[in-house]
Amino acid sequence: MKPNQTPEGGDSLRQVLRQWTVDTPLPPRFQEQVWQRIARSETQPALSLWASLSRWVEVLLPRPKFAFTYMALLLVLGVAAGSLAAQARARHLDADLSLRYVQSLDPYRADALNP
Amino acid sequence: MKKGTAIFLLGLLLAIAAFSGFYYIETAPWRAMMREPQPELAWLKKQFNLSDTEFTRVSQLHDAYLPGCQERCRRISELNARLQQLLAQTTTMTPEIQGLLAERARVRADCEAEMLQHFLEVSRTMPPEQGRRYLAWVQQQSSLLGQGMEQRHQMGSHGHMMDHSHM
Repeated sequence: MKPNQTPEGGDSLRQVLRQWTVDTPLPPRFQEQVWQRIARSETQPALSLWASLSRWVEVLLPRPKFAFTYMALLLVLGVAAGSLAAQARARHLDADLSLRYVQSLDPYRADALNP
Repeated sequence: MKKGTAIFLLGLLLAIAAFSGFYYIETAPWRAMMREPQPELAWLKKQFNLSDTEFTRVSQLHDAYLPGCQERCRRISELNARLQQLLAQTTTMTPEIQGLLAERARVRADCEAEMLQHFLEVSRTMPPEQGRRYLAWVQQQSSLLGQGMEQRHQMGSHGHMMDHSHM
């Protein structure tokens, strides 16, 4: 046990602390600044997301391996999306033209023009 | 511009170019079809794998069928107008109204018979397998099998099937 940790030492410390008064005033707008720091710490996740994206673009993307993977991924995505969109459009046109053919021959299906 | 940002934007441009290119290439046959004078016949040619000779024959049959069809439609419209006039003048069934209904039913029957005749002729113009496929498809799509009216008749006002056993 260290000498200043004796019961006697603790009593004298408590006595000194009771007599101690803080005379130094708080800095101006202390409370407001504390609340501002709390608010800043709460918005930290959004900033870190942006920061991580920025870091990804500026630090990782210039590396050849990452750049190649990124380009290949976007190329595949573009091809797949273009192909799917074209298939959807083709299905739509297919249905439209088949209906037009039947309507051109069948007057009783003409009401399908104005559903 | 920083290198990373340039690669990022280049990737986006590549994706847009890939999307547009594939969309353009894959929809090219459909756009060409829509530019034809009769896109629905061009569709028929593609759908049933018709040769140019078969397609020419089908187009001729199509063009020959339409004037008769239009004439029958004109005749039915005329009969409808006369029927409307008669119905506005009376509240009882008259022999004239009965005659008009019978006449309209006869023209409608002619219309359906001519339509079926046309479908059969077109199917015979196609290779046998395609002809059978065409006939099955067109019978389902047209009003020949009477789906429209009968289905509506079988449905109650709230869309439920009516129980005919109690009628």
